[in-house]
Amino acid sequence: MTKHEQEVLSLLKNNARISVEDIADSMGVTTATAKKLVKKLENDHTIIRYTTVINEDKLNAECGKVKALIEVRVRPEKSRGFTGIAKRIARHPNVIDHYLISGQYDFLLIVEGKNLEEISRFVSEKLASIENVQSTATHFIMKTYKEKSVLIDADDELERLAIQP
Amino acid sequence: MSIEFSRVLDQIPPSGIRKFFDLVIGSKDIISLGVGEPDFVTPWGIREEAIATLEQGATSYTANAGLLECREETVSYLKERFNLTYDAKTETMLTVGVSEGVDITMRALLNAGDEVIIPEPGYVCYHPLVTLAGGIPITLDTSGNHFIPDPKELEKLITPRTKALVLCSPNNPTGVVIPKETLEAIAALSKKYQFWVITDEIYAELNYEGYTSYASIPGVKDRTILLSGFSKAFAMTGWRLGYLCGPEALVSRTLKIHQYSALCAPIIAQYAAIEALKHNLKAVEEMRKSYLLRRNFFVKRLNDAGLPTPMPSGAFYTFSSIKHTGLSSEEFALNLLKKERVAVVPGNAFGACAEGYIRCCYATDMEKLKEAVLRIKRFIKGLQ
Repeated sequence: MTKHEQEVLSLLKNNARISVEDIADSMGVTTATAKKLVKKLENDHTIIRYTTVINEDKLNAECGKVKALIEVRVRPEKSRGFTGIAKRIARHPNVIDHYLISGQYDFLLIVEGKNLEEISRFVSEKLASIENVQSTATHFIMKTYKEKSVLIDADDELERLAIQP
Repeated sequence: MSIEFSRVLDQIPPSGIRKFFDLVIGSKDIISLGVGEPDFVTPWGIREEAIATLEQGATSYTANAGLLECREETVSYLKERFNLTYDAKTETMLTVGVSEGVDITMRALLNAGDEVIIPEPGYVCYHPLVTLAGGIPITLDTSGNHFIPDPKELEKLITPRTKALVLCSPNNPTGVVIPKETLEAIAALSKKYQFWVITDEIYAELNYEGYTSYASIPGVKDRTILLSGFSKAFAMTGWRLGYLCGPEALVSRTLKIHQYSALCAPIIAQYAAIEALKHNLKAVEEMRKSYLLRRNFFVKRLNDAGLPTPMPSGAFYTFSSIKHTGLSSEEFALNLLKKERVAVVPGNAFGACAEGYIRCCYATDMEKLKEAVLRIKRFIKGLQ
């Protein structure tokens, strides 16, 4: 990855809504060059999607969501190892993130649902019924302190002197 | 008997930017480009180490020169990053920021009437501290040489009373980095005329096109005093910790003043600095990269807005000419603050030859920089 590509990513990671003009001026390149760099990263799927970090606590009851971490132990398939099972699990719309992990369990899922029931139903009806899934452990998320490197309830910034030599 | 005050002190004019303080106090809508510090908080790892050390009860004095471990870490960092060789025990001491380092250096070096050459535009403390130490500040105007001290001009100012030259690279307020060839020419003069060079390298880590420390020029060590610290690189301005490196004969003398006037630098800051040097150089690099992007952005937009602004190679300041507006730098800054609520520092705070310029600090977030440029543009348009 080139230095320019890294710079584009660092700008977009911090603010996905930054304009091409601002990217260009920050990097000291033309707008056309910046546009090309972004396009390239989008086309080769280095950038997969632009998304938003939301403070879930601010959502009201109707649109609020419940999240859970689910550890899953599976029996790998002879031919494809974990991949085949992973694909079956990852396709479920409730699954937000899905990782293969080391340790006592094999998969770590982050699952989202309208309420506890929806997640419980997902676990018992969808997940546990998948062949080769041996056991699961569900941890409901009670509070988010930090997401995507952002502190959710950041302390107010202390005031700095506005003028100093 | 007399209850008057020090006459030398009263000769020193009050700070030109004091009048701005009253205007900005309590105002929430001001975009401040007038600061002289990072917009980052000290990296958490450093703060956490300081908290843990405090919990363990590190609340005492340290050795006058500072904790040996902190000096040793400093010395190996200087070797690694800037190819400098100092002995931690005899050639290095910790100070209460670079400011104290400048003060005790001047007091250790100067006799009444000794001259110290100070390139201007330059940081505000050199002149007064030379005066307070009984010396005579001599200004080297760099405004005709892209704010780089010109060795030829420097040589013209040298007299039998010249005791020292102050260098500050990367420079506050201009952001200029002095090229290696210039440093070598200055080193040759220092050898020829036998004067000290006090090199303030507090912004050394914040360089964007390469950097040479004056102290690394071969053969200068016995006439060079290196001043630097943790404030800018590690975002630790409020911790008040700097260091002074130089020949043993000098350090033993600055230490003598320090033991009476400061005793030691704060112990918690020293422990925090050990952590900073051991485990946080990556954070310095991340911050540097972030300043670099903002520098490019801000300089481009200022020029687009009609303020001629050269690309600075270091620190986090831009130094823009406002001569075409017909205003003095102080009028410009005061009116900009009153009309558009943007705080900048007028050039004249950094020396008479900096009249016609303003200093902006781009260590603030990009959206604010963007808004500030819009306001500056509107302000300039309103002048026509």
